[in-house]
Amino acid sequence: MLDRMKSALAAAAAVLALAGPAGAQTTLNVATAGDQNMVDYIKDYLGPMFEKSHPGVKVVAVGTGPGDGGSQKIYEKLSAQRQANAPAWDFDVVVAHQKMAGQMVKEGLLAKYRDKIPTGNLVSRDTAENSLGAEVGGYVMPMFHSQTALAYNADMVKTPPATYTDLVDWVKKNPKQFGYNGIKGGMSGVAFVTGWVYAFGGDADKLMKGPYDETLKAAWDKSLADLKEFNKNVVITPGNAGTLDMLNRGEIAMGPVWVDMFYTWQAEGKLPPNMKLKLVAPGMPGQPMYYAVPAKAAQAKLAEEFIALATSPEVQAEGIVKRFNWYPGIDAKYLQAKLDQAAWQKLFADITPDDLSTKGKPFPIAPYFNDILESYEKKVAN
Amino acid sequence: MAANRPTLLGLALVAPALAMVGALFLYPLGFSLAAAFTGREGGLSLEHFAKAFELYSGDVLFTLFIVLAATLGTAVIAIAFAGMLTLGETPWVLAILGALYRWPLFIPFIVAAQCMRTFLAKNGLMNNSLVALGVMEPLQATSFLDWRGIIITFVWKQAPFVTLLLAGAMAALDRSTIEAARNLGASRLRSLFDVILPQVVPNLMVALTLSFVTMLSVLSVPLMVAGSQPTMLTVDMAFRINSYGDYATANALGVISYAMTAVAAVFYLRHSVRKEAEA
Repeated sequence: MLDRMKSALAAAAAVLALAGPAGAQTTLNVATAGDQNMVDYIKDYLGPMFEKSHPGVKVVAVGTGPGDGGSQKIYEKLSAQRQANAPAWDFDVVVAHQKMAGQMVKEGLLAKYRDKIPTGNLVSRDTAENSLGAEVGGYVMPMFHSQTALAYNADMVKTPPATYTDLVDWVKKNPKQFGYNGIKGGMSGVAFVTGWVYAFGGDADKLMKGPYDETLKAAWDKSLADLKEFNKNVVITPGNAGTLDMLNRGEIAMGPVWVDMFYTWQAEGKLPPNMKLKLVAPGMPGQPMYYAVPAKAAQAKLAEEFIALATSPEVQAEGIVKRFNWYPGIDAKYLQAKLDQAAWQKLFADITPDDLSTKGKPFPIAPYFNDILESYEKKVAN
Repeated sequence: MAANRPTLLGLALVAPALAMVGALFLYPLGFSLAAAFTGREGGLSLEHFAKAFELYSGDVLFTLFIVLAATLGTAVIAIAFAGMLTLGETPWVLAILGALYRWPLFIPFIVAAQCMRTFLAKNGLMNNSLVALGVMEPLQATSFLDWRGIIITFVWKQAPFVTLLLAGAMAALDRSTIEAARNLGASRLRSLFDVILPQVVPNLMVALTLSFVTMLSVLSVPLMVAGSQPTMLTVDMAFRINSYGDYATANALGVISYAMTAVAAVFYLRHSVRKEAEA
């Protein structure tokens, strides 16, 4: 009996010894906020591609959850590791939303890496420099840009409203035909509300660029009272997908959606082909997600190479535009040669590049952003 | 008497379990209570509660309404089902009912919520079936994806649980009292309400208290089934944390939920204490 145990132990030791070199394999930990599709993108597409060009490296994707909450978790983890004086932090690459990215840069949790990678100079949008009022130049690379717009059923709506003011009239004439998800059910509703404040709250420019002035929110009272009135004739849907669901079933004729989600659902046959998009004036917000490297990443060098691959024109064209219908993180002109005409056209079918540059707005700077959400809770929802 | 005195060995045996309860339950509970009452400056303060009420007073009432209405609905259905199971006289109906009613117990809330989203929608399965059966005109169809949807989902999920406990209690009753009532000419309804139900009220109350507390803590159903204005406190708590990283107000909302469950807990304790006193 004892002998048998001894030999079992010896065998176990041998297995461990054999596993040694495999265990020494380098791991690159990529933490992403966002939906499951982001995790899958790293796991199924980027990861294998990177592992192929870097033998001995294993890419591990960790999802921290959708929305700002997912980014909040990344921040809490990095912040805790710094407080614990950990010599090397767990995450090598993080994918985060705007609000937390700004804060992480401010608190010194991220490394300044953009100048070190070859794709660093392909970025042209101002979101690469400024994230909701926080200076992030050099610390982040946009992974993609996402945009909200009104989706409408072209059979039910012949002439879609061109501005927020038109929309208010339209909703009066067509009660319960417009739906959005409020602010707790997903970001397309938040974007709609933000666009509303840009349109009717006065001084939208200051909201986007700062500096922060607390007295400004008093000027929103009238517009928020109007929004409360407006809400009486609309449907509050359960979430981003809830809005698309209701559009799909013909229960509403119009509603704000994320452009990429819209095209993906349409490509999968979950939305009828008669659905179209309209970016109304003065504009609706969109947002990027960022690739960043934590200040004490264990594999900083590999992390930079990973991001360089992920932001190369080939991957941006194939992975970001074709797979997800997102607008690219780097300047679109570098992609035109990599995309066939159909893919390029589709990206700008209902929303022209001109629409995008005049009416694609950023979200407001962080303190105004919080003010808008909280004023909405106080004056519209409760 | 001596047997009841705690021994060192006994203490050592329960110590790991106690430590687990302390570390994983009491400590976080105390921490969240403390955080809810700690002001920005660190002193004792009610500012988070002021904020919670300013922003979410409507949602507090909404939550209370939803959970009470769903508890009531659950009670009605559970009494009807348990009564049928106890007094029913058609064997095949009983067999089918007995086999079917437990199903929702095994479906998680989130799956139930997702199913209800397509079932209760304006052009969803329920309305489409009613239209196809000629019961309803297409124009009469309305969406139930609002407070009604939440209540329907809760009742659908919790009724089997309460039925299970109630039917069990009813089956344990002395059949002779029921048979005596039936022999003396009481209808089945009368024997249910006058003879059976009074004897199982404590069991019913306990089962309802437990499902009240369960429903109060569900996030997925209000999030997925209904729009967010008004909504339940769980959604507000998640929103405070996810959008603002504001644990303080979320904790204050949590304490308000504790207060609601505390009322239910008092009911529960009273009943179990009375039962023990009787025993």
